Amino acid sequence: MLAQIILFDGFDPLDVIAPFEVLSAGSDALGGGLDVRLVGLETTGPVISGTRGLSLAATHVLDPEAPGIVMLPGASGPVSGDPDMVRTIPVILAGLGATALPALMRRALAAPDVLVATVCGGGLALAMAGLLEGRTAVTHTLGNDVLEATGTTVVRARVVDDGDLVTSGGVTSGLDLALYLLDREFGPRIAHAVEELFEYERRGTVWSARGAEPVAL
Amino acid sequence: MTGATQPPPGAPANEVHGIWLLTLRTPIGTLAVTLTLHEEDGVLTGNANGAGESVPLRDIRRELAPEGERLTWTQTITKPLRLTLGFDVVITGDRMAGHSRAGRLPRTTVSGIRETGA
Repeated sequence: MLAQIILFDGFDPLDVIAPFEVLSAGSDALGGGLDVRLVGLETTGPVISGTRGLSLAATHVLDPEAPGIVMLPGASGPVSGDPDMVRTIPVILAGLGATALPALMRRALAAPDVLVATVCGGGLALAMAGLLEGRTAVTHTLGNDVLEATGTTVVRARVVDDGDLVTSGGVTSGLDLALYLLDREFGPRIAHAVEELFEYERRGTVWSARGAEPVAL
Repeated sequence: MTGATQPPPGAPANEVHGIWLLTLRTPIGTLAVTLTLHEEDGVLTGNANGAGESVPLRDIRRELAPEGERLTWTQTITKPLRLTLGFDVVITGDRMAGHSRAGRLPRTTVSGIRETGA
């Protein structure tokens, strides 16, 4: 199985690195069988994050139909400022709509053996591109109102499982997302082995539309 | 808000049709939108052009306001991002001012001028 984590100009480093390390450790715990890659949308090579010029290198180009996981991180940068002058996070995320991302992610969402996962503003970027209409998802707490305005049903959980789409909240929830994906794809023993190694226990209940529906509390 | 009860001279309150050049101050930057309003037999229709797409205006409603004419409508855009926007503006002569709003998001300031003499 392949796990492809997308890099784009302005990505949030922790959104990428936390799942990258968790999935890589999960691959080790499996004794292989999970190939974790950092991928570019159209090219390989260094991609500059939104935090202090830190860059990571894309070793491959995204293959949206390759069976496995396609993960989209959020952006980092200023949250306020004149959007005509400053490349704020909303500007970066909305700007992804004019790149190859929407067409590629539309293919990933349509591919039968691909699970699309997002961290932080990654979910919002997909929604802004019109790809999450009618879906259930979450993004960073600062973006949930916008997510709702795009026609997405927002559930304020740390990780939201909507079948072939699993979204997570702000930055650090990437750890919980990746641990959940290990659990979902390979079982709790693999996820637990990584939790032990990382000295981190998954936070929060993963929301999904299973079981009984709660009445208002 | 100005307390005026009469539209300015030369600006009949019931004339809202025409081509309007709108400026929207949004959290993702300033957007330029061209609004076309048609009026036929008292029925108002229109569409909005911006970011390379044209979308129809829905639920257009008008009413007299102290400053001129108040116009509200809804439009669903997909560019530069997917949003359903509710507009609420007041037309005074060849000027339009108000806001648009998507869901629970903060209001976006809208201002516009009517293209004249073209």
